[in-house]
Amino acid sequence: MSKILEAPGAGALAAPAHRHVRFGRLGAFVERQSVYSWLMITPPVLFLLTFLGYPFIYGVYLSFFQKEVARNASFVGFGNFVKLYNDPIFWQAVRNTIIFTGAATIFKACGGLAMALVMNQSFKLKSFARAMLLLPFIVPTVLSTVAWQWILDPGMGLFNRLLVVSGLATTGPSWLGTPTMAMISVIMVNTWRGLPFFGISILAGLQTIPADLHESATIDGAGTWGRFWYVTLPSLMPVILIVTVFSIVITFFDFQLVYVLTGGGPANSTHLMATYAYSLSMGAGQMGLGSAVALSMVPVLGLLLVALTLFVRKD
Amino acid sequence: MAQTTESKATRRDFLKLAAGATGVAAGPWVSRHAQAKPVQITFARESSYVKNFDVHFQNVMAPAYEKATGIKIEYQIQAAGGSAVPQLVAMVENKNGADLAWVQQEWLYRDALVDVSDIAEEVGKQQGGWYDEIKRLSVDKGKWKSVPNGNIGQLMNYRRDWFDEVGVKTFPETWDEFLEAGIKLKAKGHPFGMSMGHGFADNYSWLYPLLWSYGVTVMDKDGKKVALDSSETAKAVEYVKRLYKEACIEDCIGWLDPHNNKAFLTSQISCTNNAYSIMVSAKRDLPEMGKVIEHGLNPKGPTGQRYHALVPVTHGVFAYSKDPQAAKDFLRWMMDPKQYRPWIASGDMYFAPYLHAFDKAPEWDIEPRVKPFQKVLETGKLTSWPAPANRQHGEVINRWIVIDMFTKAITGTPTKTAIAEAVAQIKTIYG
Repeated sequence: MSKILEAPGAGALAAPAHRHVRFGRLGAFVERQSVYSWLMITPPVLFLLTFLGYPFIYGVYLSFFQKEVARNASFVGFGNFVKLYNDPIFWQAVRNTIIFTGAATIFKACGGLAMALVMNQSFKLKSFARAMLLLPFIVPTVLSTVAWQWILDPGMGLFNRLLVVSGLATTGPSWLGTPTMAMISVIMVNTWRGLPFFGISILAGLQTIPADLHESATIDGAGTWGRFWYVTLPSLMPVILIVTVFSIVITFFDFQLVYVLTGGGPANSTHLMATYAYSLSMGAGQMGLGSAVALSMVPVLGLLLVALTLFVRKD
Repeated sequence: MAQTTESKATRRDFLKLAAGATGVAAGPWVSRHAQAKPVQITFARESSYVKNFDVHFQNVMAPAYEKATGIKIEYQIQAAGGSAVPQLVAMVENKNGADLAWVQQEWLYRDALVDVSDIAEEVGKQQGGWYDEIKRLSVDKGKWKSVPNGNIGQLMNYRRDWFDEVGVKTFPETWDEFLEAGIKLKAKGHPFGMSMGHGFADNYSWLYPLLWSYGVTVMDKDGKKVALDSSETAKAVEYVKRLYKEACIEDCIGWLDPHNNKAFLTSQISCTNNAYSIMVSAKRDLPEMGKVIEHGLNPKGPTGQRYHALVPVTHGVFAYSKDPQAAKDFLRWMMDPKQYRPWIASGDMYFAPYLHAFDKAPEWDIEPRVKPFQKVLETGKLTSWPAPANRQHGEVINRWIVIDMFTKAITGTPTKTAIAEAVAQIKTIYG
């Protein structure tokens, strides 16, 4: 052994090696799949428990109590739910929520598919157009909804101006002034806002379809429609289904748009479960009753999540 | 939130010291029981439509109080438009936030407010006494839970030039005359825009007074029995149906509070019920229109009476505050005429004091078109009137039950059914 290796420095070299062995044991322990996966999953789980789990559990707790602001809660069992069962505004909010979610989701899915098919073509300024289509998704909802208030203004709004200038009508409709038109308007604004989510997701799906499939279908004699129906659509179905489920969940809980645009009026015609829960809790101070409305939305969400999980597993 | 520091000196000692140092005498607002020197007090208020009111507070009052006492006032301005109440509710539930505030819808959290009877009674005694109606809001079980600051008057805002054009030279005295004028104006392309949506003021401010002027109230005096179920209610509903159909812009049944301002300022409507904020905006941005806006009192109903709805601004101190006494001291100081009068004047009487000392105040003469708002105090009632302003009343308001009774009838529900549905819902709420 050379003197260099026997010199004091040798000890110094040996020490890190010893540490490496100890660290190696720790490293091996950490690298065990059962440990590593828990280490990775713990921070997000803690985050979710703190910021989602706690409010959710507190909401569930409140829904079984009569809890008024600044007063102690008293247990009422299913009392709040019984009250809601007999509350016509609650049932109107349920109906409105289903109509709003159903219609908006269908429009978003169809429109998003069309948007993706167009965006998948080659044309000038394609990248710019794709970026612009994301705008509704990027602009904060409250801000865009205020802009929509102006667009839907009966006298000087963009829509009615266009109708009058183009000669299609002498006066435009009252977009927010009748129950039917108010519902149509909130569905339209939600569709506008949610369309890019569908469009971009489906576009991503479109780009994963191998060109060979289209070529084979063309050789087999399929036309444009045939290729779309038998190749494109089946290939896109997994993406469309997942995006649709996500969209249903998001639309079901929509609050800001309706709160800013109509406040649930006129005559409760656009009151959604989310806006009703809010007005009961924060406006009327009935936090237990408001929580019960919010909790009533959970079973629907639960069913959707089960459907999503089953679909993903099957896939 | 009031922040305090440990100190052997009492607040009185500190105030004396500060007064000596600054040459400002410590006023009667100084507490006798103060034990610690507070560093900061947080005061939350919804932003004022008359900006100068907030500016005066921030630039004159807060620095003056700091100079006199060493206590910094953190002025927490809350956005207008309905977001203040949820913020106050969150503060009360979390027992954390401002030390004192404009306690909107105070019936929701009266239990979380400290007794301020000493301040309110002293202010009343000093400044000509309080208007009776406001006591029904601020006094709970014999104790003042808030000190009234002012009323945001709501009146008919109308275009004098357009009314003149159709030959209506003075503002209609009765609801029937009002309808008649509306029909003429709509025919000329200048409909009325009477808010009936899920807003928080501009809908109640004419529909409730209209009901009252028909001899109808929602509840009886004790708040025990629903009084809405009457033939007079049906007449009022039928009147509103006609008014909407024959005199109003179609959109107004869905309007929130900002919508009528926007429609008026864009010349789409000739009349609406609002605070005088429309005139403020017009004078600033549309001077020609600003010259022709006038304010009319709510018309009289079949009973021969006219009513107005109060939109009260009251200040309360939260019990959770680390130093409620310091917050009370500040509230007492704010309401002292030396501070209070210039503050109210800075807002051009937008917040009309509920104190009789202001009945003949020269501040009312600065803008003649503001003067009618003084009348609101004389004929003004709380929306709960004649019943107590309690949680149940708040629930009726926040679920828009009475407002929706009118809009349901307008949109096709038979009048009797619309009333019956409203009555059933109110009965459920009052239990």
